[in-house]
Amino acid sequence: MRLGMVIDLDRCIGCRSCAVACKSHNAQPPGTWWNRVFTHGASFHQAAVGKDGALQMEYLPVSCQMCDNPACQKVCPSGATYTDERGVVLIDYERCIGCRYCIAACPYGVRQYNWEDPKKAKERAGYEKGYEYGYPADFRDKDGRLVYTPNRPVGVVEKCTFCAQYTSRGEQPACVKGCPGKVRIFGDLDDPSSEVSKLVRKRQTVRLKEELGTSPKVFYLAATKPIR
Amino acid sequence: MKKSNILLGLAGSLILISLVAWGYQIYNGLIVTNMRNSFSWGLYIATFAFFVGVAAGGLIVSSTVYLFNIEKLKPFTRIASLSAFASILGAGAMILPDMGRVDRIWNIFVYPNFRSPLVWDVIVISAYLLITFLSVYVQLLPDRKKEGSRFLNGWTKAHSQEEVEAFSKKWSKRIALVGLPVAILIHTVTALIFATQASRGWWNTAVLPPDFVSVAVASGTALVLVISLLAVGKEQFDQHKGAFQIMALIVAGSLVVHFFFVSVDLIIHGWWGSTEAEEILSLIFSHYGYLYATELMFPAFTMVLFFTEKGKRSYRALMIGSVLLFIGVFAHRLMLMFPAFNAIPLSLSIPGAGIESWAYPVALGQLQEGMPVFVSSWAYTPTLVEYGVTLLPFGLVLFVVTAALKMYNFLPQKRSM
Repeated sequence: MRLGMVIDLDRCIGCRSCAVACKSHNAQPPGTWWNRVFTHGASFHQAAVGKDGALQMEYLPVSCQMCDNPACQKVCPSGATYTDERGVVLIDYERCIGCRYCIAACPYGVRQYNWEDPKKAKERAGYEKGYEYGYPADFRDKDGRLVYTPNRPVGVVEKCTFCAQYTSRGEQPACVKGCPGKVRIFGDLDDPSSEVSKLVRKRQTVRLKEELGTSPKVFYLAATKPIR
Repeated sequence: MKKSNILLGLAGSLILISLVAWGYQIYNGLIVTNMRNSFSWGLYIATFAFFVGVAAGGLIVSSTVYLFNIEKLKPFTRIASLSAFASILGAGAMILPDMGRVDRIWNIFVYPNFRSPLVWDVIVISAYLLITFLSVYVQLLPDRKKEGSRFLNGWTKAHSQEEVEAFSKKWSKRIALVGLPVAILIHTVTALIFATQASRGWWNTAVLPPDFVSVAVASGTALVLVISLLAVGKEQFDQHKGAFQIMALIVAGSLVVHFFFVSVDLIIHGWWGSTEAEEILSLIFSHYGYLYATELMFPAFTMVLFFTEKGKRSYRALMIGSVLLFIGVFAHRLMLMFPAFNAIPLSLSIPGAGIESWAYPVALGQLQEGMPVFVSSWAYTPTLVEYGVTLLPFGLVLFVVTAALKMYNFLPQKRSM
């Protein structure tokens, strides 16, 4: 099994629902975003770019690209970052020593560090007292490695897990469920009859920074909107 | 003697300040540094690389003696080994506060990932620490036997002074010869931590490891030079003039090699004219122009100074040249970080919109009033806490070198005088 995702840029309306769903389902502390959506080329989201009246506005959702050749995993000195049997790159929060080599190695800027205790950061953000968000329980993989916990330990790296706590029981990741435009399609790239496999086969796809040889398992269907 | 007590006191307080700062950092998390997600390595890693660099001198100087039979340098092999041991100890200590979970550091040994250059670095640095310690130990054996020192010295009791001296001579040479490749390796592997990463254009070049070696030979030898000058003093400077000249030449010569590497590196970054490369070049020449100028000009000045007759024959010139070189090399280590992290790897061009390189913003990892969460560059300047923690290796090196020079005789011919 090789879990992957196809993102149809033609359908993305830049609403950032996926980023919010991801953030709240995965209990990300203030300032931490596993999933980002920006208007590329623009200094502000939802601002058009271009010249001579030929303006364009396209959005690019970016989260962990789930590389088949993950630099982050190769640099990790303690094997805290690993690829599970479903092809998902995960971080063991109990193994990570916090050296941040993976953050330097990742070309996509998706890795996030717990610079302080997330509980403290949440407290300071001024949320209502007792307010807790996100999947409430720990999730361990089949070997017992802690890959999700609502409040990550201080000093470890975190990132998108393809919502391991949901997808391990056959559900869809939060960003896929939360997308109003059905932009994201999630499935098994090894299964030729899956929708992701069909799309990758039939449509022209782009992978980010493909020239670096990272072989991401996140494919983008290029926007086809004609610019005239 | 008084002077050394003051230095020991200074070293002690540096270590104390750094430990307090480190404690504060452990209590609050690395949020007390100015590193963030988009700029995830800073002063600590730069300082670590600096100390790995100056640790080279020891075995480079010792092995020069044995490989090229340069007798003039022989009196300084002890100081050389000592400076190497102290520096690598400092480097190893510096890496610890950078770990967010230093309490789990054992995971590197229990679950090592041998594809990670960081694991190789732990291995070669530990090996170097051991080798330089043994080198100092073996060289001091005869003197310590004479003094009747027992600590780690008990086994020499059964042997005569001549036997111990022969043993010391033989093993000093052997250790120096085994140590030389390890000395080269600590720089190569430390450089490979950076050079292997295709995500960072500034690092991802095969010239980085050889350049690290050349900078290390220059700065490491300069450290041996400074400690030797201080140990010998102005009074006996003339007596060892020849040795100092050779050290100055090693420094200047390896700086020539360094500037050769720097030039080809810059040409290769610039020639093709890709937008990514242009971004890096604009970062080093305009945004961080002053720091880059320091990195280039100070060592260049030292190189020229150490080639001139006047420069390599004067106590003051050798001292000033070495200190300027240290500043330049420190700037060089800092400049490993700035152009690498402030060129966001995920940059896109938008055809038709006139946008050639747009950096995809990265989340900082901190929410603070009045500050954006997503940035495409981060004006990293170390915080006071970072400066405090960074005193650790400086304190350790000062302490080890001063204490060793105070306790033992590192200049053999002083005895005969």
